Amino acid sequence: MAIMKRPTDVYDPFRELRVLQNEINDLFNFDRFPGTAGLFDRSFSPALDVTESEDAYTVRAELPGLSEKDLDVSIASNVLTIRGEKKEDKERKNGKVYRRETWSGSFQRTLPLPLSVDAGNVKADLKDGVLTLVLPKREEAKPKQITVKAK
Amino acid sequence: MNDNDRKPMRKTTAAPCDIFEEGGKIMLRLDMPGVTKESLSIHVENDELQISGKRDAVAAGAGRYLVREIPDRDFYQAYTLDATIDRDKIEAELVNGQLIIALSLKESEKPRKIEVVART
Repeated sequence: MAIMKRPTDVYDPFRELRVLQNEINDLFNFDRFPGTAGLFDRSFSPALDVTESEDAYTVRAELPGLSEKDLDVSIASNVLTIRGEKKEDKERKNGKVYRRETWSGSFQRTLPLPLSVDAGNVKADLKDGVLTLVLPKREEAKPKQITVKAK
Repeated sequence: MNDNDRKPMRKTTAAPCDIFEEGGKIMLRLDMPGVTKESLSIHVENDELQISGKRDAVAAGAGRYLVREIPDRDFYQAYTLDATIDRDKIEAELVNGQLIIALSLKESEKPRKIEVVART
């Protein structure tokens, strides 16, 4: 949870309680994404999908607003690390801000990989804010069909 | 009944949105990962700006899920425009999964400078 410093108002001692109530209400508001501040800062770790097919694993991560320069994907001893930083716009700081719901900052996600992954042939592709990694399985790990001969 | 009616409706969620002023325009920046230009639609109906985008589903044959965190939901959100926004000057741009909408103010709403004429 983020450590936040709010200006305390001596004239309104119930302000903190109201803030807490709003944050708890936010938890049950399934219609919207949770905010990036307060009780919820889960949005700082981007959502991942991992799927397994017969010959490869596919990892998809939602990274809106990031370009390939902001991203660092590495595999070391069968642990996949996706690291990056979503930079906040400088010009946005000067103008008037009415609402802020998106997240910015750096993040890191690690994922232990099965031994069957062929780490030398990983393909990574960033399109429309979605990073797709295709991790092929080793030849010997792929399922093989054994034909039964009738005599 | 066409094809669309038969498809089960996917749930929608509002995309996280930043609203700020930049260069005298009101900017909306929405995080919509996985939405392509083709699957995005922006409508202005009466006083509502409706933004909807389809999150592209994982290609068929991707296999079984080991981790599933990306919500299986499309994006939909409507914002009310007030009278100061020029409906004919709305620009939208999609970059790296972020949708940026620029709303211009009507000419009559812009701050004006009144020249003072000195008479001698």
